[in-house]
Amino acid sequence: MIRTFLQLAGLFSALSLSAFGGGKVVLPSMHQAAVSEYAWMTDQQFVDLFSISMAAPGPSMMVVSLVGLKACLSYGFWFAILGAFIATVAMFVPSSILVFIAGKWWDSWEESPWRRSIQQAIMPISTGLILAATWIIAKTSIHSIPTAIMAAVALALMLFTKINPVLMMGVAGAISWFFLR
Amino acid sequence: MGNQEAPNPKEPPALWELAALFAFIGVTSFGGGLTAYIRRLVVSQKRWLTDEEFLPGLGLVQLLPGANVVGLSVYIGNHLRGPIGSIVALTSMITPPFILVCFLGFLYFHAGTTTDTKALLAGVTAAACGLMASMVFEAGQKAIKGIFDVFLILLTFALVRVAHLHVPYVIMIVAPIAIWWHRPRTGKQKVESTGAEQ
Repeated sequence: MIRTFLQLAGLFSALSLSAFGGGKVVLPSMHQAAVSEYAWMTDQQFVDLFSISMAAPGPSMMVVSLVGLKACLSYGFWFAILGAFIATVAMFVPSSILVFIAGKWWDSWEESPWRRSIQQAIMPISTGLILAATWIIAKTSIHSIPTAIMAAVALALMLFTKINPVLMMGVAGAISWFFLR
Repeated sequence: MGNQEAPNPKEPPALWELAALFAFIGVTSFGGGLTAYIRRLVVSQKRWLTDEEFLPGLGLVQLLPGANVVGLSVYIGNHLRGPIGSIVALTSMITPPFILVCFLGFLYFHAGTTTDTKALLAGVTAAACGLMASMVFEAGQKAIKGIFDVFLILLTFALVRVAHLHVPYVIMIVAPIAIWWHRPRTGKQKVESTGAEQ
């Protein structure tokens, strides 16, 4: 049990400091650790939990809490909550401390030409990582023609309309429940 | 610097006001466009910060790891009330969604996989997949300035999906190449930037 706590803390604090471009870029690592390396959950469960966290309000990376919860679920209710708490703290605190520290030097940094360089350099990397994350989600979530159509429609809606993503996911769930159950 | 039309005397908000606003942001924030949302609340509505104070913070958190919303809560909290303000802003933003997702998590594992939940989640995961794919397009649009950026995207993707490297290692490998490629060039760009500055 203590080992699971330490694994959660180690994994998510490392990912916290690597999440250049937002939490979603570390999703591939989270998936690899939770499903393959530590075997906390199945592939399907990971994708389900990710989708639940996306459909719920809050910063997009609340899936971290759910991974912590599932990793410790077999130890009982309170330990599951504790696991979720440890994972969440490990994900949010290290990057926040960095903001706090870096803020002190930011004034002298802001005008540096390297700032733009680094910003432009980060973007293709985070794009590649989000692409890898999408690949993982697609592999499990698209398993039939109806799900493929729904994903394509969702993509088109996100690109071409200003629909609220939470509303969209809710409607997709309702439609799918109505037709596929 | 611009002269700010400050309707209120420059008095920082109370900690509970900070907590209330960030708890509100926490439960009303979904997906993208969040930085604009926070700017509207904190700069335009509450007038706790001016744009001259807010925008450097945005630049900072975009460069550092972590979600922009989370970084901004720390930056704004610190700017207004010091370290305690950071802690208050961050925890009040995270706590309500944390309780909610834990509840949903227990519900998910308790309800198990019935035909109903399976069908419902099939739709939600498919939509989530479309949402993620849209983020690839949005990020790609900003990232791709030339053919080398496409190479960097594919290299990153291959290191994760084919070589199964963890994200921190992938960044350690690709970032030096990417930064070298996008390094400040002497000449044209420098003239442009100094020209824009004055």
